[in-house]
Amino acid sequence: MKYSSVAKGVAFSLAATVMAFGATNIARAEVPSWCGPKKATLALLDGYGGNSWRQVTTASGKQTVELCPNITKYEYADGQGDTQKSISDIKSMAAKGVDALVVFGDAGPAVLPAITSVFKAGKVIVPYRVNVGGKEGTNYSKFIGSSFVDDGESWGNWIKSILPKGGNLLFLSGPAGNSQGLDELKGMKNVLGPEYVFVNQAPFAVTNWDPALTQKVLTAEIAKNAKIDVIVSDFGPSLVGALPLFSKQGKSIPALATSDGNSLGCFWNENQATNPDFKLFTVATGNDNVRLAVQWAVALATKGVPPKDEVFKAPAFENSVTGQPKAVQCRKDLPGAIYLSSELPAEDQAKAVGK
Amino acid sequence: MNASPMTPDALPQPGVITMPVARSFVTVVISTLFLLVVCAIFAPSSVSWGALSGSLPFAAIIAIVGLGQLLVVQQGGFDLSLPGAVSLAVVVATHYPQQNDALLFQAVLLAIAFALTAGFLNGVLVSFFRLNAIIATIGTNALLYGAVFAVSGGVPSITTNLLADIAGGEILEIPNSIFFALAAMAFVSFMLKKTVIGRRFEAIGANPLAGRAAGLRVRIHRMMAYVYAQLLYCMAGVLIAGITREPTAFQGDSLLLPSVAVVVLGGTSLLGGRGYPISTVVSAFFLNQLSQFALTVGVPFSAQTIIQALALGFGIGVYSIRWTVNVRKSTGTKNVEENK
Repeated sequence: MKYSSVAKGVAFSLAATVMAFGATNIARAEVPSWCGPKKATLALLDGYGGNSWRQVTTASGKQTVELCPNITKYEYADGQGDTQKSISDIKSMAAKGVDALVVFGDAGPAVLPAITSVFKAGKVIVPYRVNVGGKEGTNYSKFIGSSFVDDGESWGNWIKSILPKGGNLLFLSGPAGNSQGLDELKGMKNVLGPEYVFVNQAPFAVTNWDPALTQKVLTAEIAKNAKIDVIVSDFGPSLVGALPLFSKQGKSIPALATSDGNSLGCFWNENQATNPDFKLFTVATGNDNVRLAVQWAVALATKGVPPKDEVFKAPAFENSVTGQPKAVQCRKDLPGAIYLSSELPAEDQAKAVGK
Repeated sequence: MNASPMTPDALPQPGVITMPVARSFVTVVISTLFLLVVCAIFAPSSVSWGALSGSLPFAAIIAIVGLGQLLVVQQGGFDLSLPGAVSLAVVVATHYPQQNDALLFQAVLLAIAFALTAGFLNGVLVSFFRLNAIIATIGTNALLYGAVFAVSGGVPSITTNLLADIAGGEILEIPNSIFFALAAMAFVSFMLKKTVIGRRFEAIGANPLAGRAAGLRVRIHRMMAYVYAQLLYCMAGVLIAGITREPTAFQGDSLLLPSVAVVVLGGTSLLGGRGYPISTVVSAFFLNQLSQFALTVGVPFSAQTIIQALALGFGIGVYSIRWTVNVRKSTGTKNVEENK
């Protein structure tokens, strides 16, 4: 009896070991080309990590790093919206001997001196998404931007398809003068003629991406403009609380061109029946921008093959009119603050945002 | 503390308050009416019912935090823990229930418990350990933000439907948050003006030395100001959680300045003393309408901030002058202030 159970145990563990080895072999076989032979350490530095978008992004970055077994150590630091802290994070990570740094430079050019000093010290440093100024090869190894102009063009094309004769557009973006909003506007203007009128003050209505301020701004804009055909916003989920204002004022929610979010998709599902004009088009919100940046950093640090892309292009995601590339998505069982367009599986995102 | 240097003209201080209509009230109401007329001429849509019902909830929030700040200012203090307190109430009311209506009640109780803790902490530090109010409350604010991060991780969460109905709903087309603000105003006014505890509270704020000489428990009253304030912040936070569908974890940040502004515009002296709850609430409406007007007229974002700052400076200027005259002529508070 005893002998046989021991034998079984041994057999099982042998089998498990063999399978584990097998799995490692498979994993090794799947090492991506950007992961080179050299061993290296990598740090992801966030300027401001305090929202769900960032947490999903950070989790995506971590997952990408884990694909490369030659990254022996992975670290993360959050600047908490404090420029001083962001700068000291960058410098101290480099001082600790981390080989490659991926930086979300929220503070913009303010962090460039720190980035430059790290680059001059011979580290691989890849700022991404937020333009920090400077030049590739002089101030940093590589900048992986996101093409917000493309987002604007996608929205513009969709607006054209639903409103061929022109109409009134309301464009909401984040803090005053943020480059993302300006680029998106440029993209829309590339596509849309003068028959499309922006009713907001130029270049965009300032919302700071804050749901409460968005609600105030939208209240004023609805009162001021009798006819708004399309709302364009570069952060869809912050609009969710504000959109019912249209119903309160006895109007239908207009068409919406924006970026995706689970709460927004679910809101559309609940309200589209009662609001005949409520069409929805989203581009992917761009959590996967970090993947491209991490791939570049890893490739440069481990002597791997860099990816082909140098700019992250957010693909179109949902279209309530054609259902192409996807119909509007909603996962009611998961938190509203996740992004179904992200490569990171929805369940993992739910874990990343804490619930 | 010695109770002996009591000046005879310090005692009648509470009696001054029997004036039927405060001058600050008249000033604020006239300014507000003037603003409404300007709105009606230059931006008629900003005074349409649709626009008002959209923006009034935010006026209600400012009014409620303003009432909280008022009570602290009446005791000659400042409460800079407001952003943390409001944000904490917001995240507790959204993260704890996670869209489950059944847990909302417990969540609100939990938020109140946090508010009481923070309030007693502030109060004890300021009143018993005699720390500078600004420093003590900044410290508490940092602690509260620690709690905000512990609860939320800095991530917004969608509010429960029940709370959205209660705080964001409407009765007879009037946003419910207005009723909450009016109830808070009525309660604070009644307590301050018509109850013994309120009269003592106000007397101590006007002149703590005289209050102490009269045998009032100065420290307890001063401490409780911070507790009452926290309860009002908590109420505001829970309302924000209902009004905005997916509030961020830092929703209180933008409320600190308006809270002080409405207290000042409402005519309450920053040195403490007599408080004007109704004027404070009207000022909240004024300030909110002013920003809504700026938005509707479509002035650039930079100018919007400047307009509000100017309004604030104007308010402070007007009352500062009045305050000096008032004190010299009628109350003699200044003598005692100098003795401190």
